[in-house]
Order: sequence, then C-alpha cells, then structure tokens
Amino acid sequence: MRRQIIQFRALLSQSIHAEWASAERWLSPLLFSLTVLLLFSFAFGRVEQVFIPQLFVAATFLTAFFALQIAFSRVLEPDMQDRVFDQLRSYPIAPTAWFVSKYILVLMLGLMILTPTLVLANLFINESQQSLLSWPLFVIAACSLLALGALGVLLSTMMLRSNARQILYPLLYFPLTTPVLLAAVESSKALLIDHSSLGNLLSSWLGLLVISGIMYFTLSLLLFGELVKPE
Amino acid sequence: MSTAVQQDRRNLFFGIGSALLLLLAWFWAIYMAPPEQHQGEVYRIIYLHVPAAFTAFFSAALLMVFSLITLFMRRPSAGLWAQATAEIGLIYTLITLATGSIWGRPTWGVWWTWDARLTTTLILALLYAGYLIFHSSLAPGPQRDRIAAALGIIIALDVPVIYQSVNWWRTLHQPQSIVRVGGSTMAPEMLMTLLFGFLACLCVAGWLLHLRFGNLKLQQLLEEYSYDAQSQGE
Repeated sequence: MRRQIIQFRALLSQSIHAEWASAERWLSPLLFSLTVLLLFSFAFGRVEQVFIPQLFVAATFLTAFFALQIAFSRVLEPDMQDRVFDQLRSYPIAPTAWFVSKYILVLMLGLMILTPTLVLANLFINESQQSLLSWPLFVIAACSLLALGALGVLLSTMMLRSNARQILYPLLYFPLTTPVLLAAVESSKALLIDHSSLGNLLSSWLGLLVISGIMYFTLSLLLFGELVKPE
Repeated sequence: MSTAVQQDRRNLFFGIGSALLLLLAWFWAIYMAPPEQHQGEVYRIIYLHVPAAFTAFFSAALLMVFSLITLFMRRPSAGLWAQATAEIGLIYTLITLATGSIWGRPTWGVWWTWDARLTTTLILALLYAGYLIFHSSLAPGPQRDRIAAALGIIIALDVPVIYQSVNWWRTLHQPQSIVRVGGSTMAPEMLMTLLFGFLACLCVAGWLLHLRFGNLKLQQLLEEYSYDAQSQGE
C-alpha cells in the first residue's frame, strides 16, 4: 500500500508538471468554454425570465461537457511524447496508482473548467439580480465531474493507439456520458426551478448521477490495468 | 466429404431454417394475430419492431460476455465473436429505429421525436458504430482485442439505461408491457406471436453471427498468411 502511495504521488507530480509545462494545455479548453457560452447567448438572444434557469442549466452543462471532452481527450498526450507511456508500462507500477493519479489530474482540470463556466454562465445568461449559483449546484456539478473524469481517463487510454482518435473520442464520449448529462441537467433544473433539496434529489436524479459516478469509476479502475498491461 | 463442405452445408441448413421461421413469424403476425383495439392494423409492425429491439439488446449482453472472455480468459476467437456481435447488434438497432419511425408516423404523427427511448436507442446505434470504427482504427493484435473488449463492456452497460428510460423519463413511448412486474399486459395470442417473432429474430441473428464469425476468422487467417509470405519473401 505504501509503495502504491509513493508511486501515486510521483505519477501525479509528473502529470501536473507535464500539464503545467504549457499554459495552452489548460487555457485552451477554458477559452473554448467561454466562446461556446458567448455563442449560446447570441443564439438565444433575449429570453423570458421564466426560461432563464432552464437555459442557464442547458448552456452551462453542454458548454462544460464540450470543454471537458477536449481537456480529457488530451490527458495522456504528454506521456506519449518520448515514449514515456511505453516505458511506464514496462515498469512495475501499480495500475491503480497510475489510474488514480490521472483521475486526480483530470478532476483538477475539470474543476478549473467547470467553476469558471458556472460563474460566467451566471454572468452572461442570468440578467436578474438574483444569482443562480448555489452550493447544491456546485455539488451536482462536482458529482457529474466525478463520473465524467473516470470515463475520460479510460477513453483517453483506449484512444492512444487509435489513428482516428480526434473523431472517435467525442463519438464515444458523448453517447456514453448521456446518462450523466441527463442526470446533471435534470437535478439542476429540479434544484433551480422546483427548488428541490439535495436530500430529495438523492432519491431521484442525483442518485442516478452518484450511481453513474461510482459505476464509471469502478469500471475504469478495473479496466485501466488491462489497457496498460505490457504485451 | 471435407469438414469445410460439411460446415458450409450446416450453415446453409441453419440459414434456410431461420429464414423459414422468420417467414412463418411474419405470416402469423400479418394474417393470424388479431387487430389491436385502438391502433387497428398499423400496430402489426410491433411483431418486427419489438423482436428486433430485444435482439439488439441481447447482442449488447452477448458483446459483454465475449468482451469479458477476451479480457479475462485471453481467448483470441472471443475478440472476433465480439466484433461480429457488434455488427449484428448495429443491424438490429437500425431495424428497431426504422420500424419505430414507421410506426411513429401514423400513431404519433411524426417520423421522429426526441423521446427518451428513441434517443437512448439512437445512442446505442452510435455506440455500436463507434465500437466498429474504433476496432477498425487499431492495428490487429491482442492489444486491440483488449481495448475493444473494455469498450464492449461499457457499451453493454448502456442497455439497462435504455430499458429503464421509459420508467425514468416522461416519454411518448409506451411503458413496458411485456417484461414487467405483475405480468404482461398484452393479450395472450398477441404475446405468443411476439415471442415467436423474437425466437425467429434470434435464429436469424445467430445464423448471421455464425456466418460473420467465419468470415472474420478467414480474413484473419488470410492476413496472417500474407504477413508470413511477405516476411519469407524479404
């Protein structure tokens, strides 16, 4: 266990350094998110007050999903340079430590994208004085990020060897994350429009979100070891 | 008689038997099953639509089984079976979508609507297509089999979502009427026709699967021989 923790810390530190080596890597998904939010505002124009929470939820989560997909799809790219990935595969590294380090990195990146997206969406879309942001909304966003991150790392590992990964990643990522997207959107709508509490939501949409998160994390953790096993 | 000829003959008999079963199922559905009280004759497409949908879901379950065998038992042929299953699954999902659309036009007044069941079935079709494109984008070998198997397992997990979608979301699609708590709500003569249609669909799918597996195995052998010949030539 101690050995795995040391490996995890080393891998996480290496991943963070690789990610932070170039500002473009984490800045471009963020700018992409801002652009999509602007496009949403242009596309819808002035919206009646009653529809604003609905538009806010749809625009925020769709924008975040697109931006997260871009960030997640590139998470193993630095490892592919200089054949680091192949070298790591041949070392006696615990796949669990490797997966969890990538998962934590993805969560950090996700938070860096999701939080500004929520704040900016509230700024651009919500014209009323009352803010739509609340802690329960952040909890829902964080729960969706837990599910999306696990699948993001797994798909990113799968796509490393594919010569069509630019098109295949979104083609597989979006359909597979549909239950998460639906649960996140429905939970947020119930929170903002019906004013449901998190406790009530846990037995419906938020429950589905949490179950999806646990399922994707467990599945990704189990399968990751098989994907990085040396030939 | 050589084994290959015997196998071909068996395949032919299996194919003819499946086709006859399917024709019989359609004859039963069109001429013998009673008309539906509210929808009249239009509903008869159910005898193709529902068995095709069940076969598409069943293919996903089979894909999961073959993927698990590939991953944990390291059987090379399981990868080929999984690929063939995904192809059959895609065909049946497309049949489900097409027949559903044809049925939707007279009953709902539209060819397509963003209903939960329809959308999730379309997602299943996209996943099957994605799996096949992904499979073809990787170089052949045990690593491809392992990666595709991991994807196959995730795809199979989408099926429970599709199945439950009519219960979870407000939807135009009718709720579960065949496999449900408290028994089926269908008339017994309709249910029998439907189950027979399902059996026929499964037989045709089994035949296609067997045939496709044979093709893929042959293709793999040819590739291996051509690599061997090339390496000997060099």
